[in-house]
Amino acid sequence: MTRDVCAPMEGKPTWMWWAALAVSTAAMLVGAAAVTYQVSTGIGTWGLNRTVGWAFDITNFVFWIGIGHAGTLISAILFLFRQRWRTAVNRSAEAMTLFAVMCAGIFPIIHMGRPWLAFFVIPYWNTRGPLWVNFRSPLVWDFFAISTYFLISAVFWYIGLIPDLATIRDREKPGLRKTVFGILSFGWNGSFRTWHHYELVYLLLAGLATPLVLSVHSIVSTDFATSVIPGWHTTIFPPYFVAGAIFSGFAMVLTLMIIVRKVMRLENYLTMRHIDAMCKLVIATSGIVAIAYATEFFTAMYSANAYEQFVFMNRALGPMNWAYWIMVGCNVITPQFLWFKKIRSNLVAVFILTIFVNIGMWFERFVIIVTSLHRDFLPSSWALYAPTPIEIATLIGSFGLFFTAFLIFCRVLPVIAMGEVKGVLTFGRRAKGATK
Amino acid sequence: MSESDPKLITSPTDDWSTSRRTFLRAAGFTFASAMFTGCQATPIRHAIPYLVQPEDIVPGRSVYYAGMCGGCTAGCGVLVKNRDGRPIKIEGYRDHALSQGGVCAVGQAHLLGLYDSLRFSSAQRDGQPVNWTEVDAEITAQLAKIRGEGGAVRYLSGTVNGPTARTVVEKFLGGFADARWVMYDPISSSAILDAHERTHGVRVLPRYRFDKADVIASFDADFLATWTSSVEHTAGYRSRRSPDDAAVPMSFHVQFESRLTTTGGKADRRVRVAPSQMGALVTSLAGLIAKRAGTEFAPAAVAAAETDVLENLADRLWSARGRSLVVCGSQEIQTQVLCNFINHLLGNYDQTLDLAGASNQRLGSDSALAGLLEELRAGRVRALLIDGVDPAFDLGAPAELADLIRRVPLVVNFASRNDETAAVSRFVCPDHHPLESWTDAEPVRGLVNLSQPATPPLLNTRSVVESLSTWMGEARPGLDIVRATWEAKVFLRQTAQPSFLAFWERTVQDGFCTVTPEPVAAAPFNAAAVKPKAEAVPAAAGQLELVVYPTVGMLDGHHAYNAWLQELPDPMTRVTWDSYACLAPATAKRLGLAEGDVVRVTAGTPDSPGPSLECPVVFQPGQHESVVALPMGFGSRLSERFANVGPQWLQSQPAVGDDGRVGRNAAPFVAMRDGARRFDGNPVQISPTGRSRPLAATQLHHTLSAPEELSGLGFERRDIVRQTTFAALHAGAGHDGHGAHHGPSELWSQDHPVTGPKWGMSIDLSACNGCSACVIACQVENNVPVVGRDEVMRQREMHWIRIDRYYEGEGDDVAFQPMMCQQCAVAGCETVCPALATLHSEDGLNQQVYNRCVGTRYCANNCAYKVRRFNWFDYPHADRFQNLVLNPDVTVRSRGVMEKCTFCVQRIQEARIAARARGETIADGAIEPACQQTCPARAITFGDLNDPNSALSKANEPAQISRPGRGRHRAVGVVPGGRPESRRRGRPSWLRLHPYSGCRSSPATRRSAR
Repeated sequence: MTRDVCAPMEGKPTWMWWAALAVSTAAMLVGAAAVTYQVSTGIGTWGLNRTVGWAFDITNFVFWIGIGHAGTLISAILFLFRQRWRTAVNRSAEAMTLFAVMCAGIFPIIHMGRPWLAFFVIPYWNTRGPLWVNFRSPLVWDFFAISTYFLISAVFWYIGLIPDLATIRDREKPGLRKTVFGILSFGWNGSFRTWHHYELVYLLLAGLATPLVLSVHSIVSTDFATSVIPGWHTTIFPPYFVAGAIFSGFAMVLTLMIIVRKVMRLENYLTMRHIDAMCKLVIATSGIVAIAYATEFFTAMYSANAYEQFVFMNRALGPMNWAYWIMVGCNVITPQFLWFKKIRSNLVAVFILTIFVNIGMWFERFVIIVTSLHRDFLPSSWALYAPTPIEIATLIGSFGLFFTAFLIFCRVLPVIAMGEVKGVLTFGRRAKGATK
Repeated sequence: MSESDPKLITSPTDDWSTSRRTFLRAAGFTFASAMFTGCQATPIRHAIPYLVQPEDIVPGRSVYYAGMCGGCTAGCGVLVKNRDGRPIKIEGYRDHALSQGGVCAVGQAHLLGLYDSLRFSSAQRDGQPVNWTEVDAEITAQLAKIRGEGGAVRYLSGTVNGPTARTVVEKFLGGFADARWVMYDPISSSAILDAHERTHGVRVLPRYRFDKADVIASFDADFLATWTSSVEHTAGYRSRRSPDDAAVPMSFHVQFESRLTTTGGKADRRVRVAPSQMGALVTSLAGLIAKRAGTEFAPAAVAAAETDVLENLADRLWSARGRSLVVCGSQEIQTQVLCNFINHLLGNYDQTLDLAGASNQRLGSDSALAGLLEELRAGRVRALLIDGVDPAFDLGAPAELADLIRRVPLVVNFASRNDETAAVSRFVCPDHHPLESWTDAEPVRGLVNLSQPATPPLLNTRSVVESLSTWMGEARPGLDIVRATWEAKVFLRQTAQPSFLAFWERTVQDGFCTVTPEPVAAAPFNAAAVKPKAEAVPAAAGQLELVVYPTVGMLDGHHAYNAWLQELPDPMTRVTWDSYACLAPATAKRLGLAEGDVVRVTAGTPDSPGPSLECPVVFQPGQHESVVALPMGFGSRLSERFANVGPQWLQSQPAVGDDGRVGRNAAPFVAMRDGARRFDGNPVQISPTGRSRPLAATQLHHTLSAPEELSGLGFERRDIVRQTTFAALHAGAGHDGHGAHHGPSELWSQDHPVTGPKWGMSIDLSACNGCSACVIACQVENNVPVVGRDEVMRQREMHWIRIDRYYEGEGDDVAFQPMMCQQCAVAGCETVCPALATLHSEDGLNQQVYNRCVGTRYCANNCAYKVRRFNWFDYPHADRFQNLVLNPDVTVRSRGVMEKCTFCVQRIQEARIAARARGETIADGAIEPACQQTCPARAITFGDLNDPNSALSKANEPAQISRPGRGRHRAVGVVPGGRPESRRRGRPSWLRLHPYSGCRSSPATRRSAR
């Protein structure tokens, strides 16, 4: 088992890995070039305007934060619920979380008109007298929520890695790698005492991370919910965003898992049973999201507020209705195919469906942000929005960054939590025949 | 200074090594010699304070000079605001009899022309700079030759009515045997003058007194925007359109027009008429009035379609005899004669049409111009002097005119810029900018403006009168020439001041004086001249007619160099940086055209096609279906400078078209017919080209209702602008009986009590006519950048104040709603800014701290009025010279920073400091934001909301306060409180804003009595 998991790290990488890395690095460089150009020239290189002040930037931000949700959810909440199947996927899901949050974190900084002054939103001790940040601003809350989430996720992920790092250390011949893994594993010796402390810390961290899963996206949703713009000003947003985040997170985990198990030959560990369980979660969260969409409409109609009603009519039937229908199609309609076991067990179908969910969830954020802004109270200010190549390149770059980081992670660290999987190994072996 | 003695260091030493003493000597010498050489005149690299302070110039303090606006020939009085010796703003001049405190958009913007590095900076010969002596010698020699030979000298100018210029030019021409002065106006009113010559025996333009008119009938005269003297007319019109006093009824205004003008948008009754039918309509009205007057006049045919309207109008006019006014913008002399006839029958002459104090604002004669062109074609002209006009552009035949001008042996042009005509003139002797020279004008008889220079000439230019005097052999400074003329001519016409010196000093300070008007020798009305306009044959079905019209920003195109004006959205189409063909939506639909489709507009009929041009289509609701309207003033050579205006980046598009210019010149479509240049009524054809050109419009065609396809749920009309009738208002009925829907203007006024002054603003929507002067005034005052066509297309215009335009119904009614930061008391923008870059001041202002802004744009997203503007790029002046126009009191914002209206906080501070220095509180009216200061319609009131006696508090009587429709926790300081406008005839009338309460359904405000 250890050999299987460590194989990708110790052997030579496959051509598929190299190809994937080349593509994703290229994408990342495209994004880096776009961001460099944008920062040096001006935000005007994006397609934003006086009416639509956010579009791709914050869409990408919320999208990546959403992607980042599944990791901690799988690690922490499922851990607390003793969902043992999580062990196979939690490591890579957590890594995915970290990379996604990194991708997300870029956008609030580069979307600023003067990103070099981004530190203004951090409450730091300064010599400017009483000047402090605005604690009423959801953007400041975002800063706290995301940095906390990132830190806790990183710590949680790293703590989980320690036993495996020690395993690798023990397999290495003396040399640089052995030394590095030795340092990284903090002198882990596998004793009962060590395991005992480890389990306790892990449990505590899981407890700590759990509320974060809910809080981060709730707070991200307040970016919109606390505003006065119809379509944003909605109390449904926190739960709706959390559900959406889990939905997209699981979809992304599935997408990655299906690739990883193929590329890294880990079919025995990332089994069909895992995929099946996650598909079910996707259906469930898709349902929640669908209810949220319906509720939004109902609330608007029931509010008797002309502006609120108009925003939703405009979403569905206005000039940007294509985005709305992509969102509904991908998030509500296509996931319904997962009700069929045949489709759940067809990897290609699942892969395609999860890609659709990813697209749909990206468009959900786009719809919320752009269609609410582009036609608000005064018709005189109505405007349309179209992205520039710079914005598209930035989005591509964020995917490039994400996949580059993930591919490197696959090469240098164990993608499956060996220590944990071993704990459920018998179960896993028995179950293997059953699920196949 | 022994160290500086050269001997000490030039004495040779045995070795070249440097001792300490030698080094010190050398260093001392270097230092000392550097000090001495510093005394020489070197280019100024650093701004250093004056050692001896010039009089009147106190750093940081503004000085105001009374003067005259040089933007057009209307002769409005202005105050020129000078800071540190340079003019930085044109301000309205409240005491001036014509403008009464108003300045139009062009007047505000013409300041930019002063700091234009593409102005001619010296005399030119054949396009090359030469010095003045050389030019003078050559011109004098040639003139002497022509004088000797008795050759024809022609002086071609726009309207010149200043005593000095008239005296000098006449004297100059007097020295030649065959000399003539030809005046023409690019925006011609020649027919009105010619008609008066026929009916009153004197070629004169009456002064129209809209302030004395109870009933106004206008036939295609856009008198509030571009017709002869719009600022003056707006002030007069506005004085009779105030809803404040129940005892003073508002005037009644009917507008017959072919395209939708801002004037038509303000009318009580608006009727769409094809230009070809206008004459028949005036004839019919003349018939109806003649019947009531018992005069014999039998029109051949009465236009049946508008009989009701005309009968009603005739009744109203007749009952308001002597207090009514019929104006006509047509260039058909016969129609103008009929118009005079109507006014004569109504006894309006010397009442609402002032002949004794007649206007000199348009003196041009189209027939004289035609005569000159004939002479040019015949090659009879030996010397042509061109002053203030660009005939090659204005007459729309650059090639022909260039050819004719080149054939004249001596051509002297006084142009400031290399326009179409200057480019082909042998000599260019550039005139000063109006702000650099001593000028005078007599815009209406008896009122003489005197304008002192607000700055010494910035470039090596020379005023026209100085040039002419030099060539007459009596070179004198402009001041002496003006002063001498005033002593000889103007002083004698007044009696108030006994000595010339006192009179002169008084007038220089005031900027104008009132003198006895030169008598107008009007003959008794010549009824024989009146003939019915019989030729009004009904236009062939589907035949399109052309209307070439001036826009508020471009006028005749002489300001096409001005980026502020190019970027000023047209009040109706809201398009910037382009010309276009306006079509009624139905017509465009019939022709299968979409907005932005490029069409080829060809004058004439298919059998005899005339000139043509290609431009994109704009849908213009409210326009007559048979009309194609083309704005004039575009396509000028002066706009070639805008190829690279605005930020340059990967995707940026140039502001100019394929031909390198902004828009296309519509002047070729202006045809000379029956003695006048006709701007409308010519047949035209339209054919699609299959291409399209997106338009840089700041607003699309919005009504107050949601688009039809999205209005399925009963949320029809947005409660943004409301209307009521004058009667209903004063009957206490509020607006359409919906007074109960008024919420409190602030929800949480106790949360943040403002104990001192609390600044607020109220805008009277019944006064605002969309003239856009405030937009430019704000731009100048607040250093608002020009962003270029591409950025406007990306909806990134930077104007802090915009004038929202909403159509009502089919476009026969228009609502203008100036919109700027509402200074919300509990502001959405303030809560969301992470960096505390926008927050509330203790006097109720919503402040923006530029250097704290990181540019998240969250505030703009959360702004319900979308009035915040973001610096997407750095927007420097394309011309560095223009940095001199920057207001030093206002920060220039860098890229990545949000900005917005501040209520001109710098003016508030100035008034506060002044008041504090005197130990007083700030007087009501002491602060006037730039928009209010310039507004010709006096629609804007600014002041202290906490002072119950302030003009603002009075303007904001609770029943009238309102805000654009949106609710929630919006507690607003500014109240664009519209006030109802009189709409008689029970028509929906209104124009007012209203606080909308978010939790209630929107009341149906549309009272359709139409």
